[in-house]
Amino acid sequence: MRPDREAAVIARSLRKSYGERVAVDGIDFEVRPATCFGFLGPNGAGKTTTMKMIYGLATVGGGDLRVLGLDARTQRRAIKARLGVVPQETNLDGEVTVQENLLVQASYFGIEKQTAEARARELLEFTRLADRSDDKIPSLSGGMKRRLLVARALVNDPEMVVLDEPTTGLDPQARLAVWRSLESLKRRGVTLLLTTHYMEEAARLCDRLVIMDEGSIVAEGEPGSLVRQHVGREVLELHVADECDAEELVASLDGRLEGHDFTEDALMLYASDAEKLLEEIDQERYPTESALVRRAGLEDVFLRLTGRSLRE
Amino acid sequence: MTDVVPSPRYAARVTGRNALVFSKLWKGVLLPQFLDPLFYLVALGFGLGTYIATINGESYRDFLAPGLIASAAMWAAAFECTYNVYFRMNETRLYDAILSTPVEVQDVVAGDIAWSSIRATIYGTVFLVVVAAFGLIQSPWAVLLPPLVALGGLCMSVVAYTFTALIPRIDLYSYFFTLGITPMFLFSGIFFPFDELPGFAEVIAWFTPLYHSVEIARAMATGPGPMVLVHAAWLVAVSAALFVAPVRAVRRRLVA
Repeated sequence: MRPDREAAVIARSLRKSYGERVAVDGIDFEVRPATCFGFLGPNGAGKTTTMKMIYGLATVGGGDLRVLGLDARTQRRAIKARLGVVPQETNLDGEVTVQENLLVQASYFGIEKQTAEARARELLEFTRLADRSDDKIPSLSGGMKRRLLVARALVNDPEMVVLDEPTTGLDPQARLAVWRSLESLKRRGVTLLLTTHYMEEAARLCDRLVIMDEGSIVAEGEPGSLVRQHVGREVLELHVADECDAEELVASLDGRLEGHDFTEDALMLYASDAEKLLEEIDQERYPTESALVRRAGLEDVFLRLTGRSLRE
Repeated sequence: MTDVVPSPRYAARVTGRNALVFSKLWKGVLLPQFLDPLFYLVALGFGLGTYIATINGESYRDFLAPGLIASAAMWAAAFECTYNVYFRMNETRLYDAILSTPVEVQDVVAGDIAWSSIRATIYGTVFLVVVAAFGLIQSPWAVLLPPLVALGGLCMSVVAYTFTALIPRIDLYSYFFTLGITPMFLFSGIFFPFDELPGFAEVIAWFTPLYHSVEIARAMATGPGPMVLVHAAWLVAVSAALFVAPVRAVRRRLVA
């Protein structure tokens, strides 16, 4: 029990069903404090349901869930007091101003008005929204709304922040801004829990992650070691011509491949040196339309483990 | 049980948020809902009423005015706990944000209903002042009417909130207003007494919150008797007994 107590989140055989549909199917994981822990997977994998059980917007269906040392079934109020939540949907209070969004949120935590005002100012600086503090929510851009959601999640100075797809739908600049603020939080020792289906985001932010599919965890580890372990170093992505027999091509490379996958329109070949592999392919017998050599990433891990590409 | 009894502290913060929004909007939203009973008063009280002799010894406009105070409060509560709550719960998903803080479902429901009762009291009281200015209030007891108007607003709020928490689509409110609110408005003794009607009419009305609010308002405007306490007790008891319904329904909806 003792080492467990230090973990920010401990899930044991955690389950959740909605009627017949099993959303989370007995998962186990542990989140170390002051790290960033990621949940990766396609829509419907069970990521959001897992997050909601952690921050109290879904009841624990089965198994055990401890958050910040407290029982998620019985100590919801106490857990929520120490959490910050950035939800998937933008649910800012559209009837009050930017600054009032933070003040009202602070009131839900019982933070006194003067403290809340100072805190709101500081957070608006932190998320670079200070010049918009008296504006109405509908006048903000998508990126600003996301940053305000991050600011709102920090009003109670939380020990852990749960972020459900924090950058979905943002342009590259806005995404970068959110990433920077998350990195700076991590440096301050705040535990981050995030779901994403952007591989780049997971690779950049997460110290450790799990890949979920159909309610189960299919892999867990550090982003880099997951890639090395499941895919290798490089990928040769081939778009073969119609007349090319891809199965036969794979067979012809036997011994030189670390693995392969077929996606809807491409053949993925995993190898330690993809450039060299490309040279070895008999272009006469196996004509290809295009070939791309690249470093292996989390996306390939996902493809390897589930046999299908990440949607969206 | 712990999941139903609200924390006054947390509920007050939800009420505070709603009050903050109202403080920005009141100039725009108070007027239409206040003009509504005024039009009824002028059209029926001062228009139609001149063709009516007297009801129970008082002029028709004196008879009509107190009931319109009660109905002004009812309409305010009905709108607040239908469209406004529906919007926050299902459209802007604001409740998801609130429920991610230490505030729980029972606090949100209680805070909203408390605010709705306050709003109902504001509308009822404003109309009371107008009616008094027209000289349609006979008893000084009427100064005690606002807290009693709050009880009517409370009961109406719980009923409307329950409906809101149960309906899957916003267009179903047409049933609530057409089959619930409008008949209650017309048949709760605001426009005519029950004396000449068959006995079952008043029995049916007895089961609606507005009937009791109207009885209270009329009694306070003309000089109250002990029955006021019975009507007030009815409103409090029904509100308390029903409170569990919206809490359960909202929880099923938002914290499944």
